Amino acid sequence: MLEAARAGESVLLIAPTGAGKTLAGFLPSLDALIERPREGLHTLYLSPLKALAVDVTRNLTGPIADMGLSIRVETRTGDTPTHRKQRQRYDPPHMLMTTPEQLALLLSHADAARLFGSLKCVVLDELHALITSKRGDLMALGLARLARLAPDLTVSGLSATVAQPEMLADWIGAPAPARKVRLIRASGGAPPIVEILESQTRVPWAGHSASYAIPELYATIKGHKTSLLFVNTRSQAELVFQLLWDANEDNLAIALHHGSLDVAQRRKVEAAMVAGKLRAVVATSTLDLGIDWGDVDLVIQIGAPKGASRLMQRIGRSNHRLDEPSKALLVPANRFEVLECEAAKQAVAENAQDSPDPIEGGLDVLAQHVLGMACAAPFDAGALYTEITTAWPYRELSRSLFDRVVDFVATGGYALRAYERYARLRKTTEGLWRIANSRVARQYRLNVGTIVEEPMVKVRLVRGRGHRTGATTGPISRTGRVLGEMEEYFFTTLAPGDTFLFGGEIVAFEAMRDNEAYVSRSSAPDPEIPSYMGGKFPLSTYLAERVRRTLASPGEWRLLPDQVREWLELQRDVSTLPGTESLLVETFPRAEKFYLVCYPFEGRLAHQTLGMLLTRRLERMRARPLGFVASEYALAVWCAADLNFMVAQNRLSLDALFDQDMLGDDLETWLTESALMRRTFRNCAIISGLIERRHPGREKTGRQITMSSDLIYDVLYQHEPDHVLIQATRCDAARGLLDIARLGDCLKRIRRHIVHKPLDRISPLAVPVMLEIGKEPIFGEGRESVMAEAADELLKEASGKR
Amino acid sequence: MSISATPRRHPADEAHPLEFAAHEFMALLSGALYWPVESTLLVADLHLEKMSSYAPAGQFLPPYDTGATLEYLSADLAFTGAGRVACLGDSFHRDEGPSTLLDRDRAALVQLMTGRDWTWIAGNHDPAPHGLGGECRDALEVDGLRLSHEPDPKRTRQIAGHLHPAARVKLNGRSTRRPCFAWDDARLILPAYGVATGSLNVLGPGFAGLFTLHRLNVLMLGRDRLYPVARRHLVDG
Repeated sequence: MLEAARAGESVLLIAPTGAGKTLAGFLPSLDALIERPREGLHTLYLSPLKALAVDVTRNLTGPIADMGLSIRVETRTGDTPTHRKQRQRYDPPHMLMTTPEQLALLLSHADAARLFGSLKCVVLDELHALITSKRGDLMALGLARLARLAPDLTVSGLSATVAQPEMLADWIGAPAPARKVRLIRASGGAPPIVEILESQTRVPWAGHSASYAIPELYATIKGHKTSLLFVNTRSQAELVFQLLWDANEDNLAIALHHGSLDVAQRRKVEAAMVAGKLRAVVATSTLDLGIDWGDVDLVIQIGAPKGASRLMQRIGRSNHRLDEPSKALLVPANRFEVLECEAAKQAVAENAQDSPDPIEGGLDVLAQHVLGMACAAPFDAGALYTEITTAWPYRELSRSLFDRVVDFVATGGYALRAYERYARLRKTTEGLWRIANSRVARQYRLNVGTIVEEPMVKVRLVRGRGHRTGATTGPISRTGRVLGEMEEYFFTTLAPGDTFLFGGEIVAFEAMRDNEAYVSRSSAPDPEIPSYMGGKFPLSTYLAERVRRTLASPGEWRLLPDQVREWLELQRDVSTLPGTESLLVETFPRAEKFYLVCYPFEGRLAHQTLGMLLTRRLERMRARPLGFVASEYALAVWCAADLNFMVAQNRLSLDALFDQDMLGDDLETWLTESALMRRTFRNCAIISGLIERRHPGREKTGRQITMSSDLIYDVLYQHEPDHVLIQATRCDAARGLLDIARLGDCLKRIRRHIVHKPLDRISPLAVPVMLEIGKEPIFGEGRESVMAEAADELLKEASGKR
Repeated sequence: MSISATPRRHPADEAHPLEFAAHEFMALLSGALYWPVESTLLVADLHLEKMSSYAPAGQFLPPYDTGATLEYLSADLAFTGAGRVACLGDSFHRDEGPSTLLDRDRAALVQLMTGRDWTWIAGNHDPAPHGLGGECRDALEVDGLRLSHEPDPKRTRQIAGHLHPAARVKLNGRSTRRPCFAWDDARLILPAYGVATGSLNVLGPGFAGLFTLHRLNVLMLGRDRLYPVARRHLVDG
């Protein structure tokens, strides 16, 4: 690294987690500051986590003090007191440890040029995590500005192992194309030992709790010093933690760590972990990044690993001595996950990477940045455009799209010019864009950042009104204890009387009042509405391919546990196995409904999108679809019409049903009404500054933002569907929540390769997804039909036929 | 308040008969109520100029709500051929509304008003009279029925707006929520007509004491038609 720095090159250091790469990133800066002491900001360190910035500062100040060096290192986060933040702007430390949001704020001040003019080095930590999010967009734009303010600037990118390191090198090198980026790969040390839990009990067909494995898990924890248990969702974390405590006869110190826990609580867990006081921590992705955890000697992944790179990064959280292998245990929660774990284990053995590539820049983040740059100083549109295209995510941004974003920032960017007199940006006589008044800058600084919190509501336990007896009106008592918080969005899908699982008990939804959700205890044996919404990360394409290959090659089944092998053999006998390049579609009757189950293995998100589109088509083909459920591996749709019969009579063509053209008009029509689009729009609207996060003095509650953004979306979508913000929403939704590109690839692959298997009854392979019905959200799209049925009943009643 | 899940569509060629206080009306898919005998179209809560009302504070929401609402109104007038229009209050989102109208929206509104007997009833959002033409007043009596913005629990034979009624129907485990006409023997509440309006559930606290529940009728605005729904299928939320 020193060599590269002395040659004036930027560096991308790729090393497994915890290989000491963070401190390595500072070596050139320390070297330079010792050789040539100077004043002014020399090095900027950017990390996705405040905690990491604080930790790195601590790790640096110790040695600096020991060596008696006069090098000032300070942090700057949202928690830094205002007076210190102000002082840092006119009297900066040599090294400043901060976050992408704080950088954006610093760059929006008029003194940014002076502050950063002396900058020599930027260290970007955990780059692999940032480049796949909008925070990465924000950071790339900030980096482009820094490169202009400080022409000598070199960049040190620090990343975990990724699939395409060259792309990452391009990313950090883009702002200064003339400067070379040296790619340094630290050796990974001993290859990790990965095992899959071989349970003596039956692996369940479906579910995500892995409760069957709790006794074995507990024994494993007992056999190790400190175990880190990763799960994929918050509710899984809650459940596994609860089950472990129930089994905790020895009172082992087992803790829980996830995103909705109180921050103070999380810090306590982290401190206990560092101090080596804990035997196990059950955690979600909140611990994927972050400071080093003392002596973790075992990483346990519960549930599907989703991706090989992800799994390797998690495994890297253990055993930071490079000469010894890290140890990991995979615990599949159901039978399909056994296949996925096996695929992931092989991928780790081959060191095959499937990490996602950096994303293309979002227009909402660009709008925020443009406003920030106007706050710093009046800008020339051409010069700013040129600068922005040196940010890697925006390298292909067209000038016309950029101009539309500027127009959006200035007056809303509408074809109908309604807001000229309220403009936020105005053109000076020299042709520069400047902010209209200082209030604009104040609003920008309050809205900066790309993290949009889901609006949460308090869940309060009240005495029920007795829905079982049909009483749905009348007063509800408003006193009762608060059980916790939950996403407001969840409650918009509920009707009073619906039951769901919260805080370990089944409750019935009563009402929404003043930003609180009232619930009562329910005696229902099973919750009607599932609150498990699946993980954020879909099964990687790479692992999916491996799983498909395993299924199609019985020769590889010997690696699988007996019960899983027998399951697949049974499937082969009574139906057939999904091929690698074809799509197996089974149709069968069950309990007066007719099911279509297919196995694309493309992840829950892509399957949900497929489910929405298929039900639309089935409705048109008069198959009377009633609902569907999607899992990571399969999709089940159920209909009132006999599908076997329809196919036999040539009234239903599966080739036509799965035709790629569903991604045209059908997708468009569905998007118009999709709740997912509305949620995505809300994020884009907040990030872009269309809707404000908060106002000085009159803070909007999250709930208010949600409802107004739905209306805004409806009006905008209908009257200016090619508005820049709809465009931003569409890109985000297609990439994130809908996974349209992946679905498109899948439909293309299976075109005319559909293997239809009409059956008399459910097949063994269909059992897992069928068991998800009632546990997973079910998407009944025929919403109009609910009203139609109710209206028909009324008509029958009126005509005396009831 | 919450928002209807699906943007409403037009045109007005789907109408549903509605009988209230021994008068015959036609409920339109847009949320307007047509009174054939009086050749009168009743609309409530247009909330014109709602989106633009945020602009002075620097929030540029899509300025299309006024135009869209007026287009619906134009289609309803063409369909019914009504000679008289009564807007039941909150026609503008705020008193400044008439002055912030874009030229094209003002022209469209003037054209709709031309040749028609037009009454603007004052609402809580737009209490002040304005000079757009037509008559500005607090309430209106037509053929023994009282038209006002806010419903009055002490009166009978009244048609009002203000509350933005919606209903949620739940049947066989599925549910959907839409704006609706809601009435009993004493009063009829129109759904909010403006495209930028939210809604309140008729079973919620906002309607407490207003309807005799076992006499409540609900006509929901669907995508392509109106749906009469029995009280027993309705839930709050």
